[in-house]
Amino acid sequence: MKVGIPRALLYYKYEKLWTTFFDECGIEYIISPETNKAIINDAANLAIDETCLPTKILLGHINWLKNQCDYIFIPRVEFVYRAQMCTKFMAQIDLVMNTFRGEHLKFLFYNLYKKGPKAEYKAFKKMGKYLGLKKSVYKYAYYTAKQAQVYYEMFRAQNQLQLLQQPTPQNKVLVVAHAYNIGDKFVGEPILRTLKNLGCRPIIAEYFDARECIQASKQLSRTLPWAYNQHLLGAIALYHEQVDGIVILTTFPCGPDSMVNEMIVRKIKDKPILTLTMDTQDGSAGLETRLESFVDILNFQKERPHA
Amino acid sequence: MKKAYLGIDIGSISTKGVVIDAKNQIIASEYLWTEGDPMGAVKRLLKSLQKQIKDQTVQVVAVGTTGSARKLIGAMTNATVVKNEITAHAIGTTTLYPDVNTIFEIGGQDSKIIIVENGFVVDYAMNTLCAAGTGSFLSSQAHRLGVSVAEFGAIALTSKHPTNIAARCTVFAESDLVHKAQMGHKKEDIIAGLCKAVVTNYLNNLGKGKRIKAPIVFQGGVSKNIGVKKAFEEAVGCEVMVDPNGHLMGAFGVAVLAKQAGIERHFNFNVADLDFRTKGFECPKCANHCEIICVYQGNKLLDAWGNKCDNGAVRV
Repeated sequence: MKVGIPRALLYYKYEKLWTTFFDECGIEYIISPETNKAIINDAANLAIDETCLPTKILLGHINWLKNQCDYIFIPRVEFVYRAQMCTKFMAQIDLVMNTFRGEHLKFLFYNLYKKGPKAEYKAFKKMGKYLGLKKSVYKYAYYTAKQAQVYYEMFRAQNQLQLLQQPTPQNKVLVVAHAYNIGDKFVGEPILRTLKNLGCRPIIAEYFDARECIQASKQLSRTLPWAYNQHLLGAIALYHEQVDGIVILTTFPCGPDSMVNEMIVRKIKDKPILTLTMDTQDGSAGLETRLESFVDILNFQKERPHA
Repeated sequence: MKKAYLGIDIGSISTKGVVIDAKNQIIASEYLWTEGDPMGAVKRLLKSLQKQIKDQTVQVVAVGTTGSARKLIGAMTNATVVKNEITAHAIGTTTLYPDVNTIFEIGGQDSKIIIVENGFVVDYAMNTLCAAGTGSFLSSQAHRLGVSVAEFGAIALTSKHPTNIAARCTVFAESDLVHKAQMGHKKEDIIAGLCKAVVTNYLNNLGKGKRIKAPIVFQGGVSKNIGVKKAFEEAVGCEVMVDPNGHLMGAFGVAVLAKQAGIERHFNFNVADLDFRTKGFECPKCANHCEIICVYQGNKLLDAWGNKCDNGAVRV
């Protein structure tokens, strides 16, 4: 039996958790390749117009996987850290089943729909039972996977903090984008590459510790509902004073971001902010022009005598 | 022989070029249509500039390019500076108007707002995907109304009661415009309404949340439209300056940048007679199918770009 994991959306959050779980259970799995133009084209054909770009990309990845494995793994997550998720994470399963109806694909569901410390384990338990595994196997696999995920995140957060605090002549740019945008080869990677080519040091907001960030996000908004947006907002609240500028990367048409970005621009007044909106368009000229002139502004600020 | 600096701004609609001397004085300038052929336009531009400075003993020692075809023309002219149009415009304007605080820029396909503080750019915004409210929108509407773009502004000034026109989107604006015309609104009122709509759209999209403070300079091709200038003044409530060379500001700015860069490379106007070609192909090496562009002078490869990864890199 072979499980296919789409390299999209939550994969970029829980890669370690999922792969370690399957490894420990001794289940063979395959991960779809980095997003490329062929996947984007499939995605655009499969999706309805209203879905956001990351959701479209998910469909593209599932399309790639459909003849490569026995089961396609689809997560559905409703709560993280007791906070609500964006609707697309709840709708994923239904959306995928509806898009590929009539193709007789077999799906492996991972359904996390409760709050509380045991909720994640229960979701894995259900999946383990479905796969016909013994309790001892899936329970051990889950706790090992959880540990791997926690350490991975901790290590990543420490790494980012180091990058942030290390003095450097480069411009430090806080890149604010969801995990599935910044991690994607097609969406986030060109931004990071362009920033590096322009002599900047990108600091990725998403990599900072989630609990600390969500706590800190209350400084800027007490009522913001979405967990991942809280995370990013908190990173801005905590670290915006230590960077030279902020780049906000959004995919079109992201509902939560469209509101949160506006709020960030209104509340953070002391740093230059650039908002970039990505779609399936291919031309990188507009992107380069915008990033280039943004970095020019950062350089001007450094040259400028302090008033 | 005096040193001179050439700046070229190749936009989607028009191509601008200036030659400045060491004191930032413009000694030659040209403005012509790109007509979808940036290389041909630049060749025509160079010929015209060469003619203008024929009698003077100047030597162009540095070239700067900006605008959407800056890379292509940069490779063609062996430019020392290749800069984005936002910085180029800002540098150009702050050189001429050191105390400017806000720059409005409306070009053929894009519009920008640049916020300046004590001569330093601190913020900018640029229109996103759509070209509503830019020069190409105005010229297509002028065409629809049977008026030439050049007289558009003057006609707008004669209107006493500008018609309200929705300019959020070109498609809506067009249907709104047809509707208003059929309802019996006067042509000059509709034209003035269009100018006003361009300004409202601009201020709502780009100016949103930005600190707009006098002195304000308005530039780009649309700044030649006196109707739009007046609409801006009414909307922001203060004088909006338009430089007679406002349409050349990007080229001027990048010429200044080329001067400041300090790299000198003698430029020969013969480039205009050489044969340049571009070749585009789709890289087959991975699933990304990058569109790679190679620029040749005769059979010599000058530069290539478009690849997303090293697999598609074309070595010069």
